[in-house]
Amino acid sequence: MQKPIATTRSATGIPTGRLAVWWVLASEVVIFGGLLASYVMHRLGHPEWANAAAGTNTWIGAFNTFVLLSSSFTAVLAHQAAEHGDGKQAARYLFMTIGGAATFILVKSAEWTHEIREGFTITANGFWSFYYTAAGLHAMHVIAGAIVMAFVARDAARGRELQRVELIGIYWHFVDVVWIFLFPLLYIAK
Amino acid sequence: MSEQHHHPNYKKIYITLVILLAISVAGPHLGIVWLTLITAFGIALVKANLVVQNFMHLRWEKRIMKWMLATSLILMFLFFAGVSPDVMHHTGHQWVNQAALAATARGIEPLHEAEVAEAAAAEAPAATTETAAAPAQQAFDAKGQFQTVCATCHGTTGEGNGPGAAALDPKPANFTDPAFWKDKTDDVLIKAIREGGASVGKSPLMPAWGALYDQAKAEALLAYIKTLKKG
Repeated sequence: MQKPIATTRSATGIPTGRLAVWWVLASEVVIFGGLLASYVMHRLGHPEWANAAAGTNTWIGAFNTFVLLSSSFTAVLAHQAAEHGDGKQAARYLFMTIGGAATFILVKSAEWTHEIREGFTITANGFWSFYYTAAGLHAMHVIAGAIVMAFVARDAARGRELQRVELIGIYWHFVDVVWIFLFPLLYIAK
Repeated sequence: MSEQHHHPNYKKIYITLVILLAISVAGPHLGIVWLTLITAFGIALVKANLVVQNFMHLRWEKRIMKWMLATSLILMFLFFAGVSPDVMHHTGHQWVNQAALAATARGIEPLHEAEVAEAAAAEAPAATTETAAAPAQQAFDAKGQFQTVCATCHGTTGEGNGPGAAALDPKPANFTDPAFWKDKTDDVLIKAIREGGASVGKSPLMPAWGALYDQAKAEALLAYIKTLKKG
């Protein structure tokens, strides 16, 4: 039985696998872009949200930003290793990236637990509604990406399907870029 | 397959990203609003660009991909441009978003009260000096409330010509006109403010603001509105 290979050229000249990931990202730009744009327009119309926004912890946000940046770094190093045919090294870097994802989620869980205990719930007011929705949607993408990355890493460690390392990497960088915008919106420009 | 593409110095880019992060975190501490906005969002754009071009290799990607992503971004901005006038503003040519106005006015007060409560709690031992200071801090900003909540319909000078008035029939009351004040007692006016126009035989378009303003606050508001009278 013929296995479908996503490494052949498509009409655009881009290998189908990579083209598919870019398609996903293009739609995610509208999803997250729309969500963040909605937040911006509501925030500009409600100056009193500054009161609620003061409740986010900038240091935790900054630490998580650092974690995601570092995980993007290890992800691209994994890609470089895969390009050189070193599946084992690529897998190692990918597992480091997954470690970064886990750290991010753990820190976020602690952060949200604290905030919920303070009474800042998703229904508390408009600001917190946006906060949990945007950061939550992002966190779901982090978790989903980490799971897929684990499968890619497992294959890569056995020297198989190395082209997928680049693909999961591209997705991972997008997750990082969304957070690059979420961080100033929710934690800095309060 | 195996397209050979360039691998930039990933470590250098990573270090740049971390430095930019540090700058964006430090920005707000300088306390200059426009500078914070630049360091926060300007840097976000720079960081995102670095990641997209170098980590995601968009720099070396086929051009059609850049077009596709640009299209997504443009669609997103179109969405913002189309929707924001209705969401960012609380009045339009033909409409007033009273719920949003009320939420905004409601939200601004607690900020002030929370500060006052904190100050009072912190100074609890010095009771006598604190009670003298507290009333001054608790002064209800009637003028501010009028401008935020009432002026939308009644106008900033109280002439009944605010931006929301265009949609209203009958027009909002004109407080500058001495004739308005001739036949109205304070009680009736405070009732109109707190229980709405219909409660005093006037138009139901005047909402009931009692949830926001108790008797004392309504009296303070009325005192301010009286200053708008001409002649």
